[in-house]
This record gives sequence, C-alpha cells and structure tokens, in this order.
Amino acid sequence: MSAVPVPYFLVLAAVLFLIGAGGFLLRRNLLVLLMSIELMLNAVNLTLVAFNRLHPQSHGGQIFAFFVVAVAAAEAAVGLAIVLSFFRLRNTVRADEANTLKN
Amino acid sequence: MSSFLVALAPLLVVGLGGLLLMLGEAFAHRERGGSGPSADLAIGSFVTLAAGAVVAFSLWLVGPENLGGAAGVAPFLIIDRFTLFFDIVLCVGGALAALLAGGYLPEHKLDRGEFYPLLIFSTLGAMVLASAGDLLSLFIGLETMSLGVYALVGFRRGSARSAEGAVKYFLLGSFAAALLLYGGAMLYGATGHTDLAGIGAALRGGTLTGADYGLAIVAMVLVLAGLAFKVSAVPFHMWTPDAYEGAPTPATSFMAVAVKSAAFATLLRVLVSAFGDPASMSWGTGWPPVVALLAVMTMTVANLVAGRQESVKRMLAYSSIAHAGYLLVAVVALMTQPGIAQGSILFYLLAYTVSTAGAFGALILCGSRGKEAVSYEDLAGIGHRHPVAAAAFALFLLSLTGVPPTAGFFAKLYVVRAAIGGGFLPLAILLLLNSVVAAYYYLRVLVYMYMREPAPGAPVAAPMRSGYVTAALLICAAGVMLLGLWPTRSLELAIDAALAAR
Repeated sequence: MSAVPVPYFLVLAAVLFLIGAGGFLLRRNLLVLLMSIELMLNAVNLTLVAFNRLHPQSHGGQIFAFFVVAVAAAEAAVGLAIVLSFFRLRNTVRADEANTLKN
Repeated sequence: MSSFLVALAPLLVVGLGGLLLMLGEAFAHRERGGSGPSADLAIGSFVTLAAGAVVAFSLWLVGPENLGGAAGVAPFLIIDRFTLFFDIVLCVGGALAALLAGGYLPEHKLDRGEFYPLLIFSTLGAMVLASAGDLLSLFIGLETMSLGVYALVGFRRGSARSAEGAVKYFLLGSFAAALLLYGGAMLYGATGHTDLAGIGAALRGGTLTGADYGLAIVAMVLVLAGLAFKVSAVPFHMWTPDAYEGAPTPATSFMAVAVKSAAFATLLRVLVSAFGDPASMSWGTGWPPVVALLAVMTMTVANLVAGRQESVKRMLAYSSIAHAGYLLVAVVALMTQPGIAQGSILFYLLAYTVSTAGAFGALILCGSRGKEAVSYEDLAGIGHRHPVAAAAFALFLLSLTGVPPTAGFFAKLYVVRAAIGGGFLPLAILLLLNSVVAAYYYLRVLVYMYMREPAPGAPVAAPMRSGYVTAALLICAAGVMLLGLWPTRSLELAIDAALAAR
C-alpha cells in the first residue's frame, strides 16, 4: 500500500487555511466568521499531523493537534456566547452593524 | 517531585486560589440586599494575586538556578529570573485590577462574582504565556489568557457597546491566534521542533534546505503578525480602542497592563531564543527592520489619533498602543545591545503597569453610577469636586507623559538610552518627538480637570468614593514615586532578569 505523499496534505491544508482566511476577511456574518476561524484551525491541525510524518522521531505534531482541538472547542464556546449576547442586544449577526463604537 | 512543585509555586498559588474563590462563591449563600460578591472576592483575589507575586519574589531570592525542579518543567515552562520578573509584574497588574473591580462593579450594578475568577485565570494564562518555552505551552497560555479576557470585555451584558467590543476583540483575537498557530505549525515542519530553543538551534545550524528555509521565513512572518496583534501594534491595532472602550474599566486596565506585558514577554522570548541567530538579527536580512517599521507606525499613528479622541478612555487606549510602539523601539535595540535593551523593556513594563493601572483607577473615581466619566467634558472641574482623584490622575498622566521624577521618565530615558547606544538614533529621535505629541493629550486632561468648569446645565458626573479604588491608587502612586526616585535598583533587577533569559 502506498501512502499519500505528505505535500498533498500540506497543499490541502494551505488551501483550507486560505479559504478560512478569505472567508474571515470577506464575509460579514458573525457565524460565518466563526466557522472560518474553525476552518483555519483545522487546516493548522492537518498541517501539524502531516508534518509529523516528516519528523517521525517524536509525536510532537500529533500531540499539538490534540491540544489545538481542545482549545478550539473552548474558543468556540466563548465565541458563540459572545455572538449570542450581541444578537440579543442588537437583533442582528451582521458584522457591519457592529458600529456603535466608531468615533 | 516536590522540587518540581516548588518551581511552579507562583502558578500553583494563583491557580489554586482562583479555584477556591470560584468554589467559595458558587456555594456562598447571599441574602438579598446584603453585601454583593465583590465585598469578599475583591479582597480574596487581591490576596491570591499578591501571594503569587510574593512567592515569585521569594523564588527570585532563592534563585531559580538552585531549584532542581525548574529543569523538570523545561522546555514547556522555563523558570528563570525573566519569568519570575514577569510573574511579579502580571500578578501586580491583576491584583490592581481586582481592587479596581471591588469599587467599580458594585457602583455600576455589575456586581457578579464571575468577574474575579475570570480575572485570576486570565492572569494565570498570562503567567504561563510569559514562561512558555515551547509553542504548545505558548499557545495554551495565550488562549487561557485571551478566553478569560474576551469574557471580561463582554461582562456588561446589557450594554451594546460592551458586546460589540467583545465581538470585535474575539474575532480578531482568534484570527490572530490562528495565524500564529499556522506559523507555529510551519516552524515545526521546517525544523522538527516545537520548543523555541530547538527551533532557534535548527535555524542557526544552517542545515535547512532551501524549501525549509522559505517555510521558516513565512512562519516567522505569521508568528510575528500574531504577536504584533497581541501587543496591539499598528496595523494590527484595530480592535484595541473598541475593546478597551467597551470593557468595564477594571478589565480595560487589566488588558492594558497584564495582557500587554505577557505578550511582550513572549515576543521577547520568541525573537531572542527562536529567531535570534545572527543572520536573522542583522539589519539586512532579519526581523529588526520589520519590527522597526512596526515601531515607527505604532508610535506615530497612535499618537496622532489619540490627540483627536473625545473620550478619555479611548485616549488611554490609543496611548497604550503608543507605549507599545516605544517598547518596540527597545525591541529593535535588542539587536546590538541585548542586555541593556531587554532590561529597559522590563523596567518600562513595570513603570507602565503602575502608571496605567493608576490612570484607569483615577478615571473610575471620577464618575459614578448613572454617568461614567468618559469624555473630557465630564472631567471639567473635577479638581475642585474630587481633589484626591484629580491629583492622582495628574500624577499618573505625568508619569505616562514621562515627566521627572516619575517612573515614566526613567522608563523612557532607559529605552532612549538603549536605542541611542545601539546605534538607532533616528528611532530615538522619533520616540522623543512622539512623546512631545503625547504630552498634548495627556496635559489636556489636566487642563480640563483644573482650569475648566462644567458648562452650565450640563449633566455633571458625580465622583464616587471607594476604599478599594483608593487603596489601588495608593499602591500605584507608591510604585510610580519609588521607581521615579530610586530607579537604579529596579533597573539592576530588570537587567538581571533580562540576562537570565539568554
């Protein structure tokens, strides 16, 4: 059985990361922004695990990925809570309506 | 085993104290109309964080090199004098914020107990961040700190401004964390290490192939962008004024003081131990030109915009961005004057901590329920209505301006000296010019406080009185005067700490 070459994973991760970053910069819905950030973190995980195959002497990359998953879950919890409290007050989840603090 | 616990004592004291306070508050039976949670928790948090600072200081006296356990937690956590210095600064920043909250939260009907555990655990995250010697612990510390602070910014649940500040801070903060993390993953791929020392050794070894070298360069850019966001350097500063203005003032003070110090600690560690090889520290090929550009933009843009603000809280937010710019000048000077520059950064952060926490504390005293003093107009005539708050505000603003004999003067002097000594005369001159611009908006507050009267018929913010806030102001004032009158000793300590980091 021949394994998929590592660069394939890295390119896929880079594409995912760019989609996430692009979505973050271009979209205006707070929930989509949250999803974009999750996509970026998942791209990071894929990168870490793929690189671990190039450095097989330890499992640093895979362990790192576990921590990223755990922290991303905590981040999503706090993020959703903040978006929810924003929605309750403003009745919108559009980022461009968050403009009361403009000078 | 036990020596390993001793090495981690500052973290453990703060963490356990936070857990105990949280549990105590969860099972406390409070009668309606009785004293709110702040009455117990403010003092409890202050004691916990002060104990953390005291333990860190006693480890300093023992000498971290004598602790057998310090090696056991490396490279994830590095326990050296550099770490301990930051532990003290961060604990002091957190403890002052707890005292400010003790006065502020009941006054503004925000008296809910969860503020204090969030504050303590954020401080814990900041301490982990400052001691992190591995990308993994760096990330965990960063997120522990940030998640707490996101919640603190949105603490005023009924206020649209607070929710909006929290949304902006959260989104941009996690975006920056993702950039940093992707950079970290690339560094791991290029070098095979996640610990900063290993990354540094691999980059320095010159064994990287062309592709790996390119990967490392992209990674450095991403990591630097992520960290620049956390220290709120221009052009990554967009969130700062909004988050600072939306947050309750004690949380603002915590962000300006502790979050910024911890971010600088990790920036120094990453730049020096991971990216610190001679090739990447030269003017032509390495990070110094990038950091110098950030420093110039940060100082100039922040000071120009700060002068145009009508809200004092926003002005202080921009001023904290400007101070990050001054600190970045000293970071550039690391290139040629490592010990002195790093010592001046640590001293600056200490002086900045007491001055800024004091300024926010005085701002809290200037306004009470119903009307928080936010604009310059609100401060008109406060010199007669509340002389103590006005005098304290004046002292801390003079320190932020850099007028002798306050802490801020020597802090700036040492940074300028490091920059000139390192051969960065243009940067030093730019820093001085910026300080002159900054004097305009700091002194404007003094003019309003002492030389203006409120417009007839305008709603006047009634000053508040609080023992907690007064205590915090006394501590800050003592710090500002001590560092201003006897700066040599603390500078020596700072340089000791700086030398330990290499």
